[in-house]
Amino acid sequence: MNELDSLRQEAETLKNAIRDARKAACDTSLVQATASLEPIGRVQMRTRRTLRGHLAKIYAMHWGSDSRNLVSASQDGKLIVWDSHTTNKVHAIPLRSSWVMTCAYAPSGSYVACGGLDNICSIYSLKTREGNVRVSRELPGHTGYLSCCRFLDDNQIVTSSGDMSCALWDIETGQQTTSFLGHTGDVMSLSLSPDMRTFVSGACDASAKLWDIREGLCKQTFPGHESDINAVTFFPNGYAFATGSDDATCRLFDVRADQELAMYSHDNIICGITSVAFSKSGRLLLAGYDDFNCNVWDSMKTERAGILAGHDNRVSCLGVTENGMAVGTGSWDSFLRIWN
Amino acid sequence: MDMVISNLQQQRAVTEQLRREAAIRRMPVSQAVSDIVKYISDHMQDDCLLVGFSSQRINPFREKSPCTVL
Repeated sequence: MNELDSLRQEAETLKNAIRDARKAACDTSLVQATASLEPIGRVQMRTRRTLRGHLAKIYAMHWGSDSRNLVSASQDGKLIVWDSHTTNKVHAIPLRSSWVMTCAYAPSGSYVACGGLDNICSIYSLKTREGNVRVSRELPGHTGYLSCCRFLDDNQIVTSSGDMSCALWDIETGQQTTSFLGHTGDVMSLSLSPDMRTFVSGACDASAKLWDIREGLCKQTFPGHESDINAVTFFPNGYAFATGSDDATCRLFDVRADQELAMYSHDNIICGITSVAFSKSGRLLLAGYDDFNCNVWDSMKTERAGILAGHDNRVSCLGVTENGMAVGTGSWDSFLRIWN
Repeated sequence: MDMVISNLQQQRAVTEQLRREAAIRRMPVSQAVSDIVKYISDHMQDDCLLVGFSSQRINPFREKSPCTVL
């Protein structure tokens, strides 16, 4: 047998071994293990603020770490930084490319980033000496669209791309420090772990991958979804994460058990999920859907606990504030809504 | 010939990755779930979206009143 055949055969054996090891660790199910948990009752939230100002579909939003400011990106070619308490626009930043798909707020509050079909991650400084906002760095290098980006700190950002890779960048030098290769489909979303040592990615190959940032290696791969994964988010304890997919389901995966724990779906939900986020304790999983709604799931009972209805088009993005006090949703209807 | 070499390189990378993934230690689901449930229980009281606000005055997004009490 030549080397190629022997490697292929070993790969098949390893895949079976992984499947068997996962089964061996599966001594119960989430639903069984939480059967005696107190139910949470109906979750009802109201729109507390509507942020008006974008002139086209909103594709992305990200809360600042002060739980007050947020940045949103629209294909009207603008990034807007909002004060969500007053609904005032703090900054309206015209973009070089209007085909924006993602945006991010640096934890320090000093920078925002965005990117899209231009394949470039652009960093904007919000706190220049002159008092205006300007591009402080452009990070070219991806050969496909920028689907998601998240700051580790003011000098490091992680990106995911339609070129099937993720990358860690040194913003000062503009260089890719590390390239994360392994997905066999467009990478659509990423989420940093609370300790910032790892991140999870979701891709059009229907798998989620956990990466070690410093090593540049994929530690684990999570199959299960039946179609593109559009969104991923870590559970607040850092040991699990949720995904949302075009297969109309959200799923919960555990890192240490290395497998899927639960699925959030319903027969009358047949559209894709665009965005997911956990509430502060992790008991609620919020998910934005193509059918204009946002469903609130009891993450432990896997039942729908509430619904955020109000947008007039697809909910494209959502996020929960760091202090857990509100959810922000962004939509193709050009509005953002703040709920609690 | 180049196709053959790159296929070999690709397959090597795939098989090596699978070796790494197969070698990890896995925690029983029961313990993983128990840790998740404990985390939720420890943090439930601080989860405003779940337990609400004890008074709307604490809610930074409450309906704004026209006057402020000095």
